[in-house]
Amino acid sequence: MPRTLLDIFPNPLIAVGIGITAVMTVLSVNTLFCIWFERKVSAWIQLRMGPMEVGFHGTMQTVADMVKLLGKQLVTPKGIDKPLYHLAPIVVFAPVVAAASLMPFSESVAITNTNIGLVLVFMFGGFASIGIFMGGWGSNNKYALLGAMRSVAQNISYEIPLILSSLSVVLLVGAMGREFAVDGGVIQANGMNLAHITGVQAQRGVWFLLLQPLAFIIFFIAVLAETNRAPFDIPEAESELIAGFHTEYSGMRFGLFFFAEFSNMFIGAMVATILFLGGWDGPVLPGPAWFFLKTYFLVFCMMWIRWTYPRLRFDQLMTFAWGILVPLSILNLLITAFLVKVF
Amino acid sequence: MMIGAVLAIVLTLAGAILAVGARNIVHAVFGLGICLCGVALAFLVLGSPFVAAMEVLIYIGGITVAMVFAVMLSTVGREEPREGMAKRVLAAIGALVFFGAGVAIILGMPEQITAPVTPEEAWSVEQIGRDLLNRFNLVFEALSLVLLLAIIGAITIASRSDESHDPTAGEGDS
Repeated sequence: MPRTLLDIFPNPLIAVGIGITAVMTVLSVNTLFCIWFERKVSAWIQLRMGPMEVGFHGTMQTVADMVKLLGKQLVTPKGIDKPLYHLAPIVVFAPVVAAASLMPFSESVAITNTNIGLVLVFMFGGFASIGIFMGGWGSNNKYALLGAMRSVAQNISYEIPLILSSLSVVLLVGAMGREFAVDGGVIQANGMNLAHITGVQAQRGVWFLLLQPLAFIIFFIAVLAETNRAPFDIPEAESELIAGFHTEYSGMRFGLFFFAEFSNMFIGAMVATILFLGGWDGPVLPGPAWFFLKTYFLVFCMMWIRWTYPRLRFDQLMTFAWGILVPLSILNLLITAFLVKVF
Repeated sequence: MMIGAVLAIVLTLAGAILAVGARNIVHAVFGLGICLCGVALAFLVLGSPFVAAMEVLIYIGGITVAMVFAVMLSTVGREEPREGMAKRVLAAIGALVFFGAGVAIILGMPEQITAPVTPEEAWSVEQIGRDLLNRFNLVFEALSLVLLLAIIGAITIASRSDESHDPTAGEGDS
């Protein structure tokens, strides 16, 4: 099992400092890369070139955009709900950093390793809808409010299939990896420990994608909805709502929302990698390389879906969640529980 | 440890005061959210990160958001008028009686319940799971029955209002 920063550095303050710095660096680089990547992918799908001018094939384009955002004036509209408006970007962004620090990206080192990692990821994910709501309500703008309401309804609905589909993996881990050799001793595999979930898959040589294909599909769709990605991007549907909940935010305040959105995508892809694609498990290449390759493949899939499918209507979205995904994931969980009990 | 405990108490109290004292009903709901954050922090200080995570996941991620949603769908004005003096005094008396009863019950408990427990033993996810399905099975089932009743009630109310008036009739006057 991976050693954590707390094991390596005896002083907790130093460990926390290094951890936060590392996570922020990875998230920043990821956001800069993902924005460029999304532009390139969309251009490729639409037979365009995408950004070409700044740097080699436009690689420095997002850096230039970031500088522009930093230099922009922060416009504060009249009649806003001050505490909520100003707190919203922080409430959206802070949990993202916390959730990102939970990911076991290699077999040897991780930032943290807790027995309830999976619960914590969902918990931090739950904060996003509150932050979006604060922003939408605090902006005193009808479009922002509509976007926030859609977002909250969507997040609450899709959280249920998200958690239910990952629970079947938790059951499998409990059933498959009863014992686990760690540092000479033997411990019981914990179904909610993210490192253990990966470890069981590496140990047994089988990724949960093969055992739980339905759960993976449900999980991936629910992640798309939770991160407000197309075809579930109705909270910020440009053609109807201007920019949804962040209509009234400008400059770096808007930048933080954007930062959080791309980081959420990254985290969703990482959790899917850990739960279903075996995390760091893979031949030849070192663990972290496999982990990030798989993660970015899923990120690419998200972009591919965004530029291929049109946006769903709100009622279609709700019917899809409650009428199809929730029953299917409950059925999948029941069948998994039955099989685990029988074999 | 000590700082965490003090922070938990301060957060809980501040959130609770905001929840009952705020004129703006949305602020009151977010006050409740802060209060519940404090409760989660208290669980964390007591050594149970799992219960703390569940508290946040269900009460802040679920209940508070649902309440905000309900408030937004129902209220028209943003500022609520202040309640009358008599009502406030009555509410204060009620709260104090409830608080006193709670303290009395806790102080009257046998020693082993109020005594501190070793966190890893009593609070582990596994132990909570076992306790819920063995020792507290009846409570667990009763709670799910309550939730089922709430769902049935909501469906009944929703379907009745559909019959009594045309849903499109009320549009446009808010």
